[in-house]
Amino acid sequence: MSKYKNIESLIEKKKSEVSDLDTLEKFRLNFLGKKGEISLLMKELSQLDADARKQQAEELNIIKDSVLKFVKDKTAELQNEAMQGQLTSESLDLSLPVNSQNGTIHPVTQVIEEVIAIFGDLDFFVAEGPEVETDYNNFTALNTSEHHPARQMHDTFYVNSSTDNMPNVLRTHTSPVQIRSMLKQKPPIRLIAPGKTFRRDDDQTHTPMFHQVEGLVIDNESNMSHLKGCLETFLKSFFETDSLKMRFRPSHFPFTEPSAEVDIGYKKKGNQLIIGEGDDWLEILGCGMVHPNVLKNVNINPDEYQGYAFGMGIERLAMLKYGISDLRTFFDNDLRWNKHYGFSSINIPSLIGDLS
Amino acid sequence: MKFTISWLKEHLETTATDEEIVAKLTALGLEVEEHSDTSKAFSDFVVGQVLEEGKHPNADKLKVCKVDIGKTKVDIVCGAPNVEKGMKVVYAPPGSTIPVNQMKLKAAKIRGVESSGMMCSEYELGISDNHEGIIRLKDDSKIGQSYSEIAGLDDVVIKIGITPNRQDCLGIFGIARDLAASGLGQLKVRQNNSQKGSIKSPINIETKDTDLCPVFAGRYFKGVKNVQSPDWLQQKLKAVGLRPISALVDITNFVMLDLNRPLHVYDADKIDGKIIVRESKKGESFNALDEKNYDLKEGMCTIADEKKVLGLGGIMGGESSGCNESTENVLLESALFNPINIAKSGRNLSILSDARYRFERGVDPQSVLIGIDRATELISEICGGEFSEVVIAGKIPEDDRSVDLSVERIQKRLGVSLDDKETISILNSLGIETKQKGEAISCKIPSWRQDILEEADLSEEIIRIKGYDHIPITSVRISEKVNPAILSKGQKLISKAKHFIAAQGYNELVTWSFSFSDDCQFFGDNSKLEIVNPISEDLDILRPSLLPNLIGAVKKNASRGFETFSIFEVGSQYKTSEPEDQMNIACGIKVGIRQKKDWQNEKSLFDVYDSKRDLFNLIDHLILQQKKLTIIDEAPDWYHPGRSATVMLNKTIKIGYFGEIHPRISKHYKIKERINAFELLLDDIPSIAKKTTNKPMLNLSDFQSVSRDFAFVLDQNIQGYELIDSAMKVDRNLIQDVEIFDLFEDPNLGENKKSMAIKVTMQAADRTLKEDEIQELSSKIIEVIEKSTSGSVRS
Repeated sequence: MSKYKNIESLIEKKKSEVSDLDTLEKFRLNFLGKKGEISLLMKELSQLDADARKQQAEELNIIKDSVLKFVKDKTAELQNEAMQGQLTSESLDLSLPVNSQNGTIHPVTQVIEEVIAIFGDLDFFVAEGPEVETDYNNFTALNTSEHHPARQMHDTFYVNSSTDNMPNVLRTHTSPVQIRSMLKQKPPIRLIAPGKTFRRDDDQTHTPMFHQVEGLVIDNESNMSHLKGCLETFLKSFFETDSLKMRFRPSHFPFTEPSAEVDIGYKKKGNQLIIGEGDDWLEILGCGMVHPNVLKNVNINPDEYQGYAFGMGIERLAMLKYGISDLRTFFDNDLRWNKHYGFSSINIPSLIGDLS
Repeated sequence: MKFTISWLKEHLETTATDEEIVAKLTALGLEVEEHSDTSKAFSDFVVGQVLEEGKHPNADKLKVCKVDIGKTKVDIVCGAPNVEKGMKVVYAPPGSTIPVNQMKLKAAKIRGVESSGMMCSEYELGISDNHEGIIRLKDDSKIGQSYSEIAGLDDVVIKIGITPNRQDCLGIFGIARDLAASGLGQLKVRQNNSQKGSIKSPINIETKDTDLCPVFAGRYFKGVKNVQSPDWLQQKLKAVGLRPISALVDITNFVMLDLNRPLHVYDADKIDGKIIVRESKKGESFNALDEKNYDLKEGMCTIADEKKVLGLGGIMGGESSGCNESTENVLLESALFNPINIAKSGRNLSILSDARYRFERGVDPQSVLIGIDRATELISEICGGEFSEVVIAGKIPEDDRSVDLSVERIQKRLGVSLDDKETISILNSLGIETKQKGEAISCKIPSWRQDILEEADLSEEIIRIKGYDHIPITSVRISEKVNPAILSKGQKLISKAKHFIAAQGYNELVTWSFSFSDDCQFFGDNSKLEIVNPISEDLDILRPSLLPNLIGAVKKNASRGFETFSIFEVGSQYKTSEPEDQMNIACGIKVGIRQKKDWQNEKSLFDVYDSKRDLFNLIDHLILQQKKLTIIDEAPDWYHPGRSATVMLNKTIKIGYFGEIHPRISKHYKIKERINAFELLLDDIPSIAKKTTNKPMLNLSDFQSVSRDFAFVLDQNIQGYELIDSAMKVDRNLIQDVEIFDLFEDPNLGENKKSMAIKVTMQAADRTLKEDEIQELSSKIIEVIEKSTSGSVRS
């Protein structure tokens, strides 16, 4: 027994000298290296007789195992300490600000895409027409003759036409898309046409350019009752409420007969408009049954086909839904406004996901 | 159109409340725009009397008055020229609201003198445009009495919007007729009092053009006194916003408002010979009653005598034959004019008048004599004198419009169930006479409904009276689709482009489709883009490009303190002012600071490579497969020639530009920073039909890839892509990628020389490349590049 007393006390002494991974490696070599103390003692065992060898080998192995265990544990301990040290030294001030440059989608684009999502789901395709129009498409074909009083309400912008005596116009509504589409396609027709429109008007509540969306349905049976159903479905989806109140009022547009204006119920709460509650009415759109003369003008037989049309202002929809109080700000291009009222670039309105 | 409830009730027997009347008007399509109880608006105003009137110590034009208002006496500072001692006035106390501007009055010191309330003009009360002095009330007005009582303003005033088709409701009688039809009361039947004249008219009437003026009826009045109108008449006119002028004029206005029958009165002594209704001739002009002179164009409907133009028929009379207080003999006109001619002339001369407004919408032809009769009653009563027989030139046009109606078709159009009985009852209530005609109902349209021409018009009448609320709601969720696609390829491109560009950090703007010619001079040919009647001088043409307005937005926001701009617009620009010359463009610009100096980064500015990257990424996003993008060294004039390029798709299709905007344009806009832009010509992106939804086969090699770096000394004008292209061509199988990783200039390299270094990645599909293969490829790359660029490899 006493034979290994020395080495055991040496081990204990050397252990206390281990302070890091380097000294630990030295310690390991000192005892377990090829010429280490324990390794040498192991070699000496071969010179002993069998019994003594067995007994001493047992003893020596216990010592060796304890050294091995020490090395393993100490390695883990020291590595852990080193990691802790690294972590402490590497910590950062995460309160420092980071840059972000998010783009935005203009509310007009957002609302047009919402409108398309809703009507697309009702099987309306998206038709288009040019912003510069012929006088004929913008007025005459829509049952608005040259001297119709309704023309004066339009305050039309004129541009020169090279081909015609009549100047061209900047379309005053999206309705000429009805004409272009009906000339291209036979019924059944079910379309919407969002786009830019222009009127020579500039004050608190008018801008010389604005956006509308037109709707047109022509088939064998669509009537005012369908028109009501269609608009109710749209308005409920758009304003994301089931409790929408809607009111039809007689009105006049040369290209529809009967014609109606549609109001929705709302109430004001502080600065907020709440659609779907309250007893006040807000005008939201114009509509009606397509006038037989319009159908005749595009060679569709009004005795066989009928249908409805509607038109509404995109900015107005946006203002009501998103609480934007001033129409003119839409086109001011004040980046503070665009960043505030703009929408996330990756939000694409959908009835399956989110509309807004 | 404004009217009062009490005036309405002169024609309508009803027990309905004001609220019910208002609701019904709107439900009938006579939309109530305003309705105000004037007795409330004027409730604070009382009669006062000026007791003393003296000079203001500190202001020449102001006076200090002591005014008795019944309960007490107050001091008021007043600037009106007509204020005088003893005068009865309308007093507005502090705390009251002045109708014209909705200002709340406060007691205040005016130039150092306390003033408690004010004395009002008609303008301030919103009852007329007259602001020359304060109102002088009659001397017998009772001090302290409410002004609304004595002015007859204790009534509910309703303003309705009348759509262009409803000319029949431009008179209060017509409004009553519509309300009665809807069941709100009984129309009081008017008894027309047609009186025979006692003298012969000395003024003959001749109509030369019965198309312009089918009928002109005139009556001569002798020995009238054109006095002030009686109170009842003045109050009626004032209540609806008209200023009383004189009895004769007020009577014509009254008949127009009451019965929708425009009339005109001429001072008969100022007419030379007979009245001639004819087309105007070139060079004629006249002074109208609005005190303006108008040069007439050929073909306008002129009322003339044998020497001069008296007025424009149906639009406005002339000053030369106008009535004033000394008028004794009068010719009253009640005529019909051609609506189109009136509309044209009125627009041409920009004259607005109540008569024009009515005639261009169509006046009831049968009202010609009714108007004469009603005005005769009133003139005799108020102005006295004798009158002649009615002289009529031309004749009242026959109007026997009749429309056949099928109840079945009406139901089909409205989606409402109706029977014959209800239909006929509604039609009759509107004065439409009905007769069964086989299956159909034959409807005789009354003369006052000039707008009803066909069955569709009747369908509106029926549902209007029945009530739009009775239209049921039918779902339009359909089972059978009629549209194969909702969005076209072009529309999808636009939407994708917007979202992608925004996702790269740009803010979407929507700018005017118009622009300023001065700003657009740099952007191609603008000669065919002029707007004939622009909204303002600086928005005078259609935009030839999206850039001018976007750059303008940069300028505007820079002055708000912004230093960094990533803005874009997707929209149309125009080549000419023809419908087919409109193009869809996606345009983005970056200006100013890309990265501001902060704790982490150095400051950097946007440059043209930002625009290049954004454009190329955008194109990658929009055109998924089978494309090759190259750039050519040219671009439109608005780009810096040395810092711009055109992007070609598959070498043949120009699809966009990017570059720095030409410095002369930045200078024009006074923008110091460089403007970097891209434009993508969305309409020129070919729509390549997808042959398969499969993506191309992906072949990945498992063998090791190696890369080698090469640096070359090159002439300045050698472009990066030439190195990449040349290297790629050496072996398209083995060379996987070529990347430029270093670029610098140094005088040591030689004059006009630069160093450019590339990293070439090599990999084989079937083996690991051996050192000698790599060596061989490397030598070839050096050889090919040295040859193609006349450069030399740097060792």
